Amino acid sequence: MSHPESGSHDTPTLPPPSGDLTVPAPYRSAAAPQALPFVFTGKGGEYFGIWIVNLLLTIVTLGIYSAWAKVRRLQYFYRNTSLAGASFDYHGNPMAILKGRVIMFVLFVVYNATAQFFPLFGLIVFVALAAVMPFLLQRSLRFRAHYTSWSGLRFGFDGSLGGAYRVFLLWPFLTTITLYLLGPMWHQRLKQYQHRHARYGATQFAFDARVGGFYRVYLLAFGVVIGGVILIVIASGLGATQNSAFVGLLPFAILGLALFIQPYLMAKLQNLVWNHTQIGPNRFDSHVASGRLFFIVITNLIGIVLTLGLYQPFAAIRLARYRLESVSLLAAGPLDEFVAGQQQEVSATGEGAADVFDIDIAL
Amino acid sequence: MTGATAAREAPLAELRISEPMGKAPRLITFADGAFCEVRDHAALAHLLAASGHRDRAHVRWQFDWRMVAATCLAFVALALAAYFYGLPVAARLAAPAVPESAIKLMSEQTLDFMDARLMSPSKLAPAEVEPLVRRFAALRPPEATSIAHRVLFREADKRIGANAFALPDGTLVVTDQLFRLAGSQDEVIAVLAHELGHVAERHGLRMVLQSTAVGMFLAFYLGDVSTVLAAAPAALLQASYSRDMEREADDYGSAMLRENGLSPALLANMLERLEKAHRDKNGDVPEYLSSHPTTDARIRALRGGAAAR
Repeated sequence: MSHPESGSHDTPTLPPPSGDLTVPAPYRSAAAPQALPFVFTGKGGEYFGIWIVNLLLTIVTLGIYSAWAKVRRLQYFYRNTSLAGASFDYHGNPMAILKGRVIMFVLFVVYNATAQFFPLFGLIVFVALAAVMPFLLQRSLRFRAHYTSWSGLRFGFDGSLGGAYRVFLLWPFLTTITLYLLGPMWHQRLKQYQHRHARYGATQFAFDARVGGFYRVYLLAFGVVIGGVILIVIASGLGATQNSAFVGLLPFAILGLALFIQPYLMAKLQNLVWNHTQIGPNRFDSHVASGRLFFIVITNLIGIVLTLGLYQPFAAIRLARYRLESVSLLAAGPLDEFVAGQQQEVSATGEGAADVFDIDIAL
Repeated sequence: MTGATAAREAPLAELRISEPMGKAPRLITFADGAFCEVRDHAALAHLLAASGHRDRAHVRWQFDWRMVAATCLAFVALALAAYFYGLPVAARLAAPAVPESAIKLMSEQTLDFMDARLMSPSKLAPAEVEPLVRRFAALRPPEATSIAHRVLFREADKRIGANAFALPDGTLVVTDQLFRLAGSQDEVIAVLAHELGHVAERHGLRMVLQSTAVGMFLAFYLGDVSTVLAAAPAALLQASYSRDMEREADDYGSAMLRENGLSPALLANMLERLEKAHRDKNGDVPEYLSSHPTTDARIRALRGGAAAR
């Protein structure tokens, strides 16, 4: 699953199946699938230490340390996430991440410098950038999956380069020229590309969320905005005739609505994506409640404002805990056998060790 | 290493021991990829200490509350030092490198914005202002190089009132209200000389560079939260010229006045009038909110400069 602490368009790092020796006996007889919840043991106080040391070292090294900071941050979140008694882990090499960041920084500077002074040349750089981005993003998805493990075994990602050009170039283009009418369809294609080509060991993930589901989520969100605006307009019309102090509350109502929509989308999309993802015979169950997520997001925001940002690590932990602990794996059979099988197959094919073009860029 | 079903032995140097991460299990990995998860942190720490293994210093910091507290203090101290000392120096060094075209563009955009929302065309008769503009244009600059500039008059709305400001490209704007408030043409000239000082020292440009840097830092610091949250404080933090900038502009202004046989006290008179006008309008403005801090000190310095002549 996209690790919640880094946003919804994150590369997929997929948690998947399976178990170790602690799987309870009754479920070995394999009748109804057994729901195994994801467990998150991260603590705000612990993460604060990592966060502040990361922050200081990143500033002191003018950003170079940020690659090592990212590895520590991900390790803290992954290693504190467990399923069926076994934990996830992150093995990314900071040098590869640094390489990705240097490339992105150079591209960014070149683009900005040229766009400012030589608009025509800037356009050429923009086209070149658009042409190379899908390749970098595909490498990045591979990197993120390959360096994630659960129960000692690595994930993988085999999405094709052609697929990457479709979801990272063709679909954004189509979405833009249709004034975002195709946005939900692009989102479905993106998640399908990420999840269908991910694997755990040798077992492929499957993804069966339809385009209609994405349109439903986005239309509902759109409906919530329209409904909220109409309500605010009516309420302010009524309020203005009776009590002018009421009008003072208007900005807060609008702000509340604006702040509600992001957690609403986050909740509905996480549920949609994970309730339609499958690995081998095992499915997932995700039941994030948008009201609860809204409460977490808004109290996090208040905490961050009141502490001038120092609450951020606590906020990240709270959000990750809720999003992760809302997900379970519905295991169809004994996980320990499943994992053992994976391990054999993988060592047979010789898991393609680190790629020559290892790179990680943030999405 | 022994367990219920396996026992292995390997030299410590061949093992990879994952960094501690709070209560998360630590992984001990053998050279062939076999591994074991350890959850008993106290026992492992004891074993590792006995065998001479040490985590790197900054890894140990992360979970030592004293080091974390010290890091917090270092971060705050660094941020304050960078804001009050590093940033002004960096902006001063970077300002000359900004291309003319960018300065012109940003000045035009600012003027357009203010014309659209805060100001309307001047109601003063051309006959009132033209002699003044001609006189100011004819003044000798206090330094070898003269600063390209133009003077504009605008009727300002209540939020601006009697005021004058300079844009980085040398556009000097005087409000009708300030023109009427002035006791003489010379006092308006004195204000223009002060504003030209802001242009000569590139104050506006340095402010833009500083607020851009603050904005970039906040985007990095609060990046995960929201860009809206990051944008707001940047604007607040950079609302006014610093005291040093006002003093530099005063110095330039008085030098220019003296060069042309006028007294720096003219600027002091104008400052007094402005302060009184704004106090009458707003009540007593606390000094830390004022965009021209320690006005009394500046007035004294200008009169002192006039007396010393």
